[in-house]
Amino acid sequence: MTRGNRIFLSCIYWAFVLYVFVPLILMVLMGFKDSKFIGFPIRSWTLDWYTGVLGNTEVLSAFGYSVAIAVLSTLISVAVGTWIAVLLEGRKFFGRTAVFGLTVLPALVPGIISAIAFRIYARWLGIEPGMGAIIWAHAVHNVPFVALVVMARLSTLPKSQIEAARDLGADPVITFMRITLPYLVPAILGASIFCLLLSFDDFVRSFFLGGYDPTLPVLIFAKLKSGMSPEINAIATVALVLTAAIGIWAERFTRRLNKD
Amino acid sequence: MTKQTFSRRRFLGTAAAGATVLASPVYLRRANASGGEVNIWTYNDFVPKAFKEQFEAETGIKVNVRLVDDQGKQFNLLAAEAPNPSVDIMTVAGHRFLQFIDSDLLAPLDTDRLSNWGNINPTFSESDWSTINGHKWGAPILSGMEVLAYNTELVSPDEVKSWDVLFSEKYKGQTAYVIQDMMSIIMLKMGYDGNMVEYLGDPDKAAAIVDEAKEFLIEKKPLVRKYYDGGAEVQQMFVNQDIALAHSWNGPAAALINDGFPLAMTIPQEGSYGFVYTYNIANNAPNPDNAYTFLNAILASPEIGAAMTKASGFISTYKGAADYLSDLEKQSTSFTDEELANLKFFRAEANEMKYGLVDPAVEAIKAA
Amino acid sequence: MGYPDMSDETAQGARSNQTKDDLSGQTFWGRLAGWTPYRLLIGLATASPRRQFLVLAALPIVWVLTQHLGPMLQMLRVSLTDAYPVAPGVEQHFTLDNYARFFGDRIFWQPFFRTLIFAGVFTFCTLILTYPVAYFLARHVSRKNQMLFLLLLLVPFWVGEIVRTYAIMILLGNTGAVNQLLKWIGLIDRPIPFMYTSFSMGVGIVYLTALYMLLPLYSALEKLPKSLNEAAADLGASAWTRFRRVTLPLTIEGISSGCTLVFLISTGFYATPVLLGGPSTTVFAETIAGFFHVAGDEWPTGSAFATIMFFAALVLTGTFQKLMNALRKGDSK
Repeated sequence: MTRGNRIFLSCIYWAFVLYVFVPLILMVLMGFKDSKFIGFPIRSWTLDWYTGVLGNTEVLSAFGYSVAIAVLSTLISVAVGTWIAVLLEGRKFFGRTAVFGLTVLPALVPGIISAIAFRIYARWLGIEPGMGAIIWAHAVHNVPFVALVVMARLSTLPKSQIEAARDLGADPVITFMRITLPYLVPAILGASIFCLLLSFDDFVRSFFLGGYDPTLPVLIFAKLKSGMSPEINAIATVALVLTAAIGIWAERFTRRLNKD
Repeated sequence: MTKQTFSRRRFLGTAAAGATVLASPVYLRRANASGGEVNIWTYNDFVPKAFKEQFEAETGIKVNVRLVDDQGKQFNLLAAEAPNPSVDIMTVAGHRFLQFIDSDLLAPLDTDRLSNWGNINPTFSESDWSTINGHKWGAPILSGMEVLAYNTELVSPDEVKSWDVLFSEKYKGQTAYVIQDMMSIIMLKMGYDGNMVEYLGDPDKAAAIVDEAKEFLIEKKPLVRKYYDGGAEVQQMFVNQDIALAHSWNGPAAALINDGFPLAMTIPQEGSYGFVYTYNIANNAPNPDNAYTFLNAILASPEIGAAMTKASGFISTYKGAADYLSDLEKQSTSFTDEELANLKFFRAEANEMKYGLVDPAVEAIKAA
Repeated sequence: MGYPDMSDETAQGARSNQTKDDLSGQTFWGRLAGWTPYRLLIGLATASPRRQFLVLAALPIVWVLTQHLGPMLQMLRVSLTDAYPVAPGVEQHFTLDNYARFFGDRIFWQPFFRTLIFAGVFTFCTLILTYPVAYFLARHVSRKNQMLFLLLLLVPFWVGEIVRTYAIMILLGNTGAVNQLLKWIGLIDRPIPFMYTSFSMGVGIVYLTALYMLLPLYSALEKLPKSLNEAAADLGASAWTRFRRVTLPLTIEGISSGCTLVFLISTGFYATPVLLGGPSTTVFAETIAGFFHVAGDEWPTGSAFATIMFFAALVLTGTFQKLMNALRKGDSK
C-alpha cells in the first residue's frame, strides 16, 4: 500500500465523518435556540429546551417505550431471520425461490401499505393495538434484513468446518451452536443494529398499531404539527445521548460477562 | 408538559392563562363524578394541559389523548377500527365531514346535551357547512383559513393585494403552496365556485373548470419553489428564506408572527376559503356519556379557547376568547372586515365530484 | 451501540473455546450431547434427511406464510375490489380497474420510473461514497481502532429520519450553514438555492442509506486476507489492477447485499423526498400515499399501485442479484 493512497483514503473517511456529523451538530446546536423555530440566524440562546425535555415525563416515557419495543422486536427478528437464513443458504429444495421471495416480502411493501395491512390483519387475528402489536409488526418487518445479512455471511462459512464437526460425531444442533452460530455472530449483531434502528425510527407502523401511548417518533410527528421547534431537536439529542449511554453500558456489561 | 411551558419568553403568558382557567368559576361541579375514561384523538396542544388536569380532578374521568398529525390518518385508523372504534372524540376539519359521515364513522351531535353550545360564536356553530343531512356533526373549536403569507422584509403590503403575486416573475423561485388548496383558490380567483357545489348538476362544466385551473398551475410551474404539504414545512421555508411569500394556513403563519419573525398575512381581494376544526363523537363510541361531559366542559370558558389559539395559532371559535390574548396574538389572529368580506367556508357537499377531478389534476401538475 | 465490538470478542471467544476443548468434551455442549432425553429428541428429529429438513423448514415456512404473506394477501385483496373500507349498504365487487388505472394514465408512469431511477442512482452514489470509507476502515485502520472508527459513523443513525431531514434543511437552506459559510469566505454574494432540488434530495437520501451500505461492505472487506493483495503486488500487479482483479471480485457479495438493501429501502422512502424534493421530483411513494390520505375511498387504487411497485422492485432486485451471482461465478473460474 502506498502512502499516498492511505492519505487519500483517510481524507475521504474524514470528509464522510464531516458529512454525517454536520447535520447532527446543527441539530444539537438548534436545541439551544431561544425561539419556537429552528434555523439561522440564532439571536439568543437558552438552556430551557434541554432542561424542559429532561423534566418531561411524556418524552422520557415515550423514549423508554420505544427502546423496549426496539429490543423485544429485534430479539424476535434475529431468531426467526437467522433460522430462515440457515434454511435457505446453500440448500436446494422445491419451493426455495418462493420461500426466499416471501422472506423479503415485508421489506418491499411501502410503509403506509404495510401499516394498514398489518392493522387489518391484526384485527382479523384478534391482536389488540398496543405494545404487543407494534412489536409484532416491527419484528415481521425486520426479519428480511436479518435473513439477508445472515445469508451473506453464511455463504462464506467454510464447509470443511461443518464436515469436520460432523465427522467427530456432533449432531446438527450441536454443530450449529458450536460452529455455525459463533461464525454468524458478527452478522447477527450487525443485523441487530439494523433492526434496532428500523424499529426505533419507525413512525407509520407504530402509529397504526399503537394505542394511546406514543412511541418517540409518534410523539415527534405530533409535535411537528405545531412547527419544527428547538424542543424537537432537544428531544432527539437527549434520545441520542441516552441510547449511546445504554449502548456503552450494554457493551461493558457483556464484556464483563464474557470475562467471568 | 407542552412546549410553551418551558420557553422562557412564553412561560409567563401560559402560566397566567393556566391560572385563570384554574381560578375560573367551577363550571364542572354540576357534572356527575362518574369516573371512567374518555378517549380522544387530536393534535398536539388542542386539549390544553391545565384544562385536562382540572377536568380529570373534578369529574374523575381519565382523559386519554392519542396524538395524531393529519386528517387522512385519523380516517384510515378509524376505518380500520370500525364498527367498534376505541375512540370517543376525534378532531375533524368541517369540510372533511362528509367522508367520515358517508363511511358511517361519526355519530350526529345532540347539541341539546351541551349546555355550553351557546358559548360558540354562531358564525361557526350555525353556519351552513356545519349541518349535513339535517344534523350537526361536530363542536367547532378552532377556525383556520387559506391566507397569503409574506416576509415583510422582502415583500411590501401593496404587492399582496391579489393572489397573482404568487405567480409573478419578480418572485420566481421564491413561492410555495399546497396544490390541493391552491386549486380551490385558483377556481375562486377565476370567478368560479371553488367548492363546486354550484356544478353538482353539471359535471362537464365542473371538469372544464378543474381543467382550466390545472392548466394555469402547470403553466406557472416554473415559477414555484416548492409544493408543500405541512405547516411545519412552510414555516421552515420562511425561516430559511427559501421563499419570500407563500400560500399558507393562518395557524402556522400566526405561530411565526408570534415568535417575532417578520411575517404578515392577508386575504387577497379575490377572497379565500376558511375551515373549522371540530370535535366529533365517533359512531358507536365506547364512552358516549363521558364524551358529552368532556365536550361541554371544554366549551365552558373562553380562556380555554384562548389557550388553544395560543398553542396552535388558529382562531378560536369561542365568544370572547380574544380578550385573553396578548396584543401580538390578537394581531396574528385577526383580519380586517375588508379582508373577511370575501372569505367563504369550504363545503363538503360536492367533495366526491370535486376531489374526483382535483386529485388527478394534482397528480398531473406534479408530473408536468 | 458497541455491538460490533462485542461481536468480535464473542466470536473470537467462541472460536478459542472450540479449539481448547474437544467437540464432545466436558463442556456444556458435551454434557448436552450425552444427555439421554436430548439424544432421543435429536434422534427423532434427524432420523432421516427428509425429517431433518422438515424440522428445519417448519418454522420458517409457517412464519413466512402467516406473517409475511398474510398482510400482503390482504393488500392484494383490497387492490382487487372497487370499495374499501366497505361503507354500510354498499356491495363490494371484484375488479381490475385499479390496475388498469395505472397502465391507462401516463401521469402515473413518470413518478413510477422516476422512483426506480432515483433509487438506482442514489444506490450507486451511496456505493461510490461509502466503498472508500469501508475500504479505509477495513484495510488502513488498526484492528484495535476499527470498531471505534465504525461506531463514530453509526452515531448519527440513531436520530430519526424527520429530525435529520430538517437538519439538512438547516444545512442547505438559503440562510443555511453552507450558504452562510460560502458568503463568509466571500465566494458568493447571493445564496445558492440548494434546497428543493434533486441535489438536496440526494444529500438527504444518501445520508439515510449510507449505513445500510457501509456495514455489508465493511464486513466483506474486513474478512479479505491481506496476503492476497500482497501476493498480487509481488506478481507485479498495479494498485488499480489489484483492486479490480482481487479486491472487487471478492467483495461482490457485500456490494450485492448492500445495494439490494439500499435500493429496497430507497424505493420506500416517503418523508425525505417529500420534504427535501422540489416541484418536479415527486416519487411514487408520494403518489401512493395520496390515495390513502387525500380521499379515503381510494384504498383499492393505492393498494394496486403499491402492488405494482412491489413487483417492479422484486423483479429489479432479483435481476440484480442474478447479475451479481453471474459476476462472482465468472470471476472465480
